[in-house]
Amino acid sequence: MNTLYVLFSVAGTEYVLPAADVVQMESFSGATPVPGTAPFVAGLVQMRGKVVPVVDLRARFGLPAAEPTIDSRVVVVQVGERTVGLLVDSAREVIRLRLEDLESPPDIVAQDGAGFVSSVARAGQRLVMVIDPSKVVGEEQLDG
Amino acid sequence: MARILVVDDSQVMREMIIACLRGEEGLSFEQAGSGLEAIEMLSLGRYDLVVLDLNMPDIGGVEVVEFIRAQDQLGDLPILIVTTRGDDASRQQVMAAGATRYVTKPFNPEQIIGEVRGLLRSAQPAG
Amino acid sequence: MSAVDLKTFITGYLAEVEEHLRMAERNLLEAERVEAAGGSSARQVRALFRSMHTIKGLSAMVGVEPVVDLAHEMEAALRVADRSGTPLGGAVDLLVRGLRAVEARVRALASGEAVPPAPADLIDALAALGLDRLGAEVGDLGLPEDVRSRLGPGETQELAHGLARGRRAVRVDFVPNPSRAASGLNITAVRERLGRLGDLVKVIPMSVPRSPEAPVGLSFAVLMLTGAADAEIAEAAGMPLDAVSSLVGAQPAAAPAALPPPAEDEEEVELRGEVVRVPVARLDDVLDRLSVLVVSRSRIARAVAELASRGVDVGALSHVVQESTRHLRDLRAAIMRARMVSLAELLERVPLIVRGLSRTVGKEIKLDLDAGRAELDKAVGERLFPAVVHLVRNAVDHAIEPADERERAGKPRAGHIRVACHERGQSQLELQVIDDGRGIDQAALARRAGRDEPRDPEELLALLTEVGLSTRDQATTTSGRGVGMDIVKRVAVDQLGGELMVATERGRGTAFTIRVPLSLTIVDAFCFHSGERTYVVPMSMVDEIVELEPDRVHRPPALAGALVGLLDRRGEAIPVVDLEAWFARRPAGGGGRKAILVRRRGRPLAFTVDRMLGKQEVVVRPLEDPLVRVPGVSGTTDLGDGRPTLVLDFLALGGQVRAAQGGP
Repeated sequence: MNTLYVLFSVAGTEYVLPAADVVQMESFSGATPVPGTAPFVAGLVQMRGKVVPVVDLRARFGLPAAEPTIDSRVVVVQVGERTVGLLVDSAREVIRLRLEDLESPPDIVAQDGAGFVSSVARAGQRLVMVIDPSKVVGEEQLDG
Repeated sequence: MARILVVDDSQVMREMIIACLRGEEGLSFEQAGSGLEAIEMLSLGRYDLVVLDLNMPDIGGVEVVEFIRAQDQLGDLPILIVTTRGDDASRQQVMAAGATRYVTKPFNPEQIIGEVRGLLRSAQPAG
Repeated sequence: MSAVDLKTFITGYLAEVEEHLRMAERNLLEAERVEAAGGSSARQVRALFRSMHTIKGLSAMVGVEPVVDLAHEMEAALRVADRSGTPLGGAVDLLVRGLRAVEARVRALASGEAVPPAPADLIDALAALGLDRLGAEVGDLGLPEDVRSRLGPGETQELAHGLARGRRAVRVDFVPNPSRAASGLNITAVRERLGRLGDLVKVIPMSVPRSPEAPVGLSFAVLMLTGAADAEIAEAAGMPLDAVSSLVGAQPAAAPAALPPPAEDEEEVELRGEVVRVPVARLDDVLDRLSVLVVSRSRIARAVAELASRGVDVGALSHVVQESTRHLRDLRAAIMRARMVSLAELLERVPLIVRGLSRTVGKEIKLDLDAGRAELDKAVGERLFPAVVHLVRNAVDHAIEPADERERAGKPRAGHIRVACHERGQSQLELQVIDDGRGIDQAALARRAGRDEPRDPEELLALLTEVGLSTRDQATTTSGRGVGMDIVKRVAVDQLGGELMVATERGRGTAFTIRVPLSLTIVDAFCFHSGERTYVVPMSMVDEIVELEPDRVHRPPALAGALVGLLDRRGEAIPVVDLEAWFARRPAGGGGRKAILVRRRGRPLAFTVDRMLGKQEVVVRPLEDPLVRVPGVSGTTDLGDGRPTLVLDFLALGGQVRAAQGGP
């Protein structure tokens, strides 16, 4: 079975997300920081009228911080009822992966990835890590 | 206390007139928003003076004056007409119908006070 | 000696004039519609005359001469038409111009600008209107003498038309007396109640001999056109059945063809419910006073806390104070409900706007307004209205083709625009502007913008709402200026948290849909700058805004964290927190020159700000995602820059600060 994935990169490493979970992708022009939130929450942006929290994936993955560039993108994902934006260094491609291409992540990746990585995949010559968006945004439900 | 009935279809207008007179002693006020309401209130109650706008919609001021004067008990009721830009014809018509005094808008507060005081003085029952 | 300044009545004047202008517009359009359908506009003409007369009188008292001049001419023309029973015909255009001229001058007065004199050509044209040709000859209706002599030609004509349309002409004799008056049954109430059962043509006061039934010798003969039964009419008038009689037997000789009664009757009947008209300014005033009440409550809470600290048993008192918070909140909700405007009222002005537009661009337009019964908060309605107007203007200007072109395309000559609004589920309002015009030329739009052609409706919308884009190079006479599509999006989507959608088909038409949440939290708030960011705090939680005079702020050496120091004020030592430092979890800097003071459980706390920016009403959108739900931030708002601005909860922040210090 062939499924579409959105490909993006963070600190030089390539990751993918199921395209079905992605609502939109926009360039990043700054977020309103919210004091008291976790360090990996960049803040809030307004997108198509919705106010969306943005998770800085560099921080989330424990990678060194860097200034956003014009290539930076906010990948807005839908996780259950929640709409959350993921700040990445770039997001340009959409690729197809077959079920067979997906493998369990090697232990070390699983450990460092803190459960964010659900599997790894071979896409042609590249090895990409498949992200589980619900782990990235945290598993709390929306209240009420 | 002299009871004054203020008749005008505009609430703001009624409030303005009452505001002019409120500072004077011995006056109390009631309001009617139409000529018909005024006729009803004058029949059911006792008033010492009527301040009446001329051109009200459902029944003109002239008709109201005519009706008032046709009632025995209201024959002496002082009627002060307050109206916009009176032309001679309107004025003659309503005075002929039996109105007592006539003031045109815009008026000064002093004018209204003067007219009301004058009308109430001359209406004092003799003896 | 009274020294009444009549200018203090300006607010009331503006409210009343506004209402009369609205009614006049409605009546004018209705008169035009009725006459076009072959009916009698006598009622509308009479109502118009009344409105212009009132406007004239009020304006004379307040001293707005140009409006007096205009209103005088219009009133005079309408009086002639009313007395002679003449239809307005083509005079409607001139009267619309007159209304517009009055409106413009009233608006100028409301904004404190100079009021321009009335245009001489308009005055002359109005004065030259000779609306005294008699209408169609009305045959002898067979009215009794005492009634016939008291009716004017306009009223007689109205009766004739009504009879021709198959309605009954009925006379109700209402006799006022003290006991009826005491139970609220006076002529005004009776007129209103009878008005729901039909159209009142005239009320004639009559002297009758005094009797036990008629103790004050007065009777009112109410003449009306109705389809209701006598029993219903008698009940509405509070009179016995024999007070109701048929006015006229035979049909008049020269009668126009029977017309169906207009649907307007039912609408009017429903709208005449128990209503009190309140100028919106008065409700805003009430809200302001409520804010003061809220502050007072905080002060009472403080006093109670102080009593408690002196050992007084404040159990019951404290409970009352707590309850009052809830009561104030409920009160605010109730006032906001009172501020709800019906959508139908909001969209009232649209027909007049369309009429003017269609004249200007020379196209025939048929407008279909379906506002339903939905209501929304006045602040939301005010923001939505210009957006709706822009969409309608767009449709008239760009979408609808000229009549000939439409005919060639097999469409009806008149373009059809539908403005519809209804509630969608429990929580949303959906508003649509739909036209059957030429549809959006997406290729041309893309070319002009130097972009690729949009692939789906979302991309089309993005293209349309890009700032500064318009499908004509220069502004046309009606659109292209003022509210643009980008602002429509900003209002509906960014500010109100709603959605904007478009669907279009070349040659068939276009539909714009706006969806907004039905209930929004709207609060009065202070805006301020702190650390180069803008924030907003609801006024209800602000006790005061204080100056931080350096010699009144004491910095004890052992101060930790974001605490700037203690402000000595009116005998209190108020902790001052550097807001930015608190947010950044760093030690306090110098702090700003002003601070916002809140009281939490009676204890004061101040947060520094760099600069106060003023106060305004904001729409608060709560933050729902767990990632960003933090104490101290109630939600976000859009101050117009398209970015979320945080709405702070200083009370919760205060709690955090105290907790960090190890306090309660």
